[in-house]
Amino acid sequence: MHRSIIRELETLLGASGVLSNSEDLLLYEYDGSIEESHPDAIVFPARKEDVVSIVTLANRHSLPIVGRGAGTGLSGGALARRGGIVVSFSRMNHITEIDPENRRAVVEPGVVNLDLSRAVEKYGLYFAPDPSSQKSCTIGGNVAENSGGPHTLAYGVTSNHVTGLELVLPDAKVVRVGGRAMETPGYDLTGLVVGSEGTFALVTEITVKLLRLSEDVRTLLAIFDTLEEATDSVVEITSRGITPAACEMLDGWTLRAVEAYVHAGFPVDSAAVLLMEVEGLREAAEAQAAEIGDVCLRHNAREVRRARDARERALLWKGRKEAFGAIGRVSPSYYVLDGVIPRTKLTPTLLRIEEISKRFGLVIGNIFHAGDGNLHPLILFDHRDADQFRRARAAGSEIMRLCVEMGGTLTGEHGVGMEKNELMPLMFSDSDLDLMRKVRAVFNPADMLNPGKVLPLGKGCGETRLQPFPISASGEA
Amino acid sequence: MSRLAASLSSRLPDLVGPARLIADATSLAACEVDGRGPSAILQPNSASEIAEILRFASAERLAVIPTGGRTHLGIGMPPRHYDLALDLSRMNKILAYEPRDLTLGIEPGVTCADLDRELRQKGQFLPIAPRFGDRATLGGMVAAGMDSPLRYGYGATRDFLLGVEFVTGEGLVSKSGGRVVKNVTGYDLHKLFVGSLGTLGIITRLNFRTFPLPPRRQMFVIAFDAPSRAFEFCRSLVKSPLDPKVLEVLDPGTAALFQARGVDFLPSGSWLVAIEAAGHESVLARHERDLASIYREARAGGFVSLEESQRELLFACLSEFPSIALAANRTAVIFRVPILPSAMPSLLEGIRSLADDHGLTCAILIRALGVVYVALLSPKQSPVEPPLEANTRSPLINCSRSMVDLFISQGALPTIERCPLDVKTALGVWPPPGAENDIAQRLKRVFDPRAILSPGRFRGGI
Repeated sequence: MHRSIIRELETLLGASGVLSNSEDLLLYEYDGSIEESHPDAIVFPARKEDVVSIVTLANRHSLPIVGRGAGTGLSGGALARRGGIVVSFSRMNHITEIDPENRRAVVEPGVVNLDLSRAVEKYGLYFAPDPSSQKSCTIGGNVAENSGGPHTLAYGVTSNHVTGLELVLPDAKVVRVGGRAMETPGYDLTGLVVGSEGTFALVTEITVKLLRLSEDVRTLLAIFDTLEEATDSVVEITSRGITPAACEMLDGWTLRAVEAYVHAGFPVDSAAVLLMEVEGLREAAEAQAAEIGDVCLRHNAREVRRARDARERALLWKGRKEAFGAIGRVSPSYYVLDGVIPRTKLTPTLLRIEEISKRFGLVIGNIFHAGDGNLHPLILFDHRDADQFRRARAAGSEIMRLCVEMGGTLTGEHGVGMEKNELMPLMFSDSDLDLMRKVRAVFNPADMLNPGKVLPLGKGCGETRLQPFPISASGEA
Repeated sequence: MSRLAASLSSRLPDLVGPARLIADATSLAACEVDGRGPSAILQPNSASEIAEILRFASAERLAVIPTGGRTHLGIGMPPRHYDLALDLSRMNKILAYEPRDLTLGIEPGVTCADLDRELRQKGQFLPIAPRFGDRATLGGMVAAGMDSPLRYGYGATRDFLLGVEFVTGEGLVSKSGGRVVKNVTGYDLHKLFVGSLGTLGIITRLNFRTFPLPPRRQMFVIAFDAPSRAFEFCRSLVKSPLDPKVLEVLDPGTAALFQARGVDFLPSGSWLVAIEAAGHESVLARHERDLASIYREARAGGFVSLEESQRELLFACLSEFPSIALAANRTAVIFRVPILPSAMPSLLEGIRSLADDHGLTCAILIRALGVVYVALLSPKQSPVEPPLEANTRSPLINCSRSMVDLFISQGALPTIERCPLDVKTALGVWPPPGAENDIAQRLKRVFDPRAILSPGRFRGGI
């Protein structure tokens, strides 16, 4: 990027608001995915007006713009695929307003997910979407990716919790969509923009719904000798009318890797563990926990453990929450996949993944949101070995095909980004994709905002899908 | 008499076959929208037939309005043009229902009543309430953006609609979303279809997440002598750990409307709060116990725990408030006002004093999570359909106009969901377009470049 543009940016934002040294830029070449791209400058707006100025400047110089929160994304959504300016929202991290009576909060995009829940805890409220990265990921990033998390089984993903947005469009116009009320007459533009992966607009303000903290929560861990009995239990639990707040599963390989590091008490000779949580009114939580226990035991669970207090609950969750760290210990790199299948297809799908693992000669662990069929296969590989990296990608792509074949989808919560945009034709026809492209053009006609994401790039654009070696990808799911 | 050129009419049978082309006067009249009828009704069987029809209509610039049970055609502005009605009632198949996955895929013409029966057999339901009569279809409910008292506990349509397949104005078969309960693949175009009144495309398949029926449901009604007490009660309830699935406030006018429909088991002349709890016996008992204690603190005037048949009747009334008000008073003007709970008490005062000022009465139903329905009623019930008699018209229009101003001054964006044509013409039914209008207009052009789909019925003249 020309030095004069950097100077212009520095004039707008001050010297501390712009990064352009190559060693600084290096840090922004990555996110939680295995992708990599090189930005030309990083800018740190402090307010909406800064964002407008940045977009205006970028337009004048025909530079791509990419929004970025904490960079924990798992599909390359925050990477500058075509270079240009990365707009980091880390300084726009204020909670503008908390309205406990109406259960709303207005936040800047850089507010860390968990910080919002902590700020509203004193009112007995919280923000429901809880990606595993919630200690660092931002609400702006959640909005871009329509993020989920373990507890979205009961409470839904980000779009279910956003009522309004303030947008800076790629032509630097500021537009508000939605509002604080439950609904807005006209097209649901808020619903359209949430999950558009930063390709429609830069979001500068978000109005979210808050939920009331539950009176009671029960956490159970069920241990199984076969994978099938674990998945059958999941299907029966949900179809019986119990909606656990969370229903997480670790397969045998994964639970052994986790146990070796975390010592969560998983029996290392078991084939699967299910970590489940029900919450709500004391009576409801109690009845549902009892029923879940029964279902698991009838499906031959070896043991069902129940947390008796907060300490035991934390211990049961420890194995899940620190799982990714545990995997990092046993493999130089891993590739976290994200696909969804109908719950009832869990067993055949996991068997096919095992077969893919053998065929590609790579270990694949499974740790996932079983309750909604959201798989997160982890492909272990060594990034220093080009052949392993190639095989990891190929196996990943095959697993994605498998999900679609099973009647599922390419991503449940991580987004398409630049990881899966070339796989979109597995789900969508050319005319579906063409319509999506036209809808994007309504917001972003020149494709200057987060270019090269979500939709396939099409033939002849000369872009190669070969990637250099990534640093150990350490994302969470 | 058909307004279509004979050369065009003669080509219609090629599109669906003569048996599914209808042009008799009675049928055409049944498809009227605000007094304007189509020249022909086509009854397609499939997405590909719809695509062919729309390619034809697009080439000839014929305006098309999709219809289902024709129960809510009065929503929106009068169409600018209307040549063909696309009657989707033959597309009434359940395409995929996987109770164990809690997922459902249906054609748009499936009626709410049929679907409810089907789901009930598997112990499940969709929180779009079953409607009076057997005609309302799911495609219509989604396109008209109808809401349900159950949105308090289970979310609104946009929250459990997983995907939509549709045909664009140019006749392209397309889709968005998926068939599984969790999915973020691609842009969520399907969200745009909720409440879009058939202006973006013809829905050919809807995918929903279904919900397990709770083991038991129980509805409680608590009476208050003043609205302030009813709201105070709701505030306490919302802060408590209780987990109601329905929470609605009825003014005495609404209670009277419901009474005429057989809801004769409630105290009259009071403000009523209706609460539904769902779950195991222990959960219902807890609700009853805690509600009774909040009720005692609020010094309310009565506490009723409804029998199952009473619950069903009241629930149906809560779901069907606009239709009930309209049936009781043909010239009713019914507003749907999304507003935050904290703003409700002062809004209510304003509404009632405006109605008084104009010599009108009103019935108010409040979905406590943030939607207020107001039916403005003329004192003398007009026995005939509009146009209104001159002496009724001007207070109704004047009061409606002041009402819209009031809502907007309180930061709310009201829609007039139902009203006589005169009021529509005088006031418009949508709030004035906002800053987002430009985006909405451009989206419309993407989905329907020749503006043949339900032209003019939507916000911003779309």
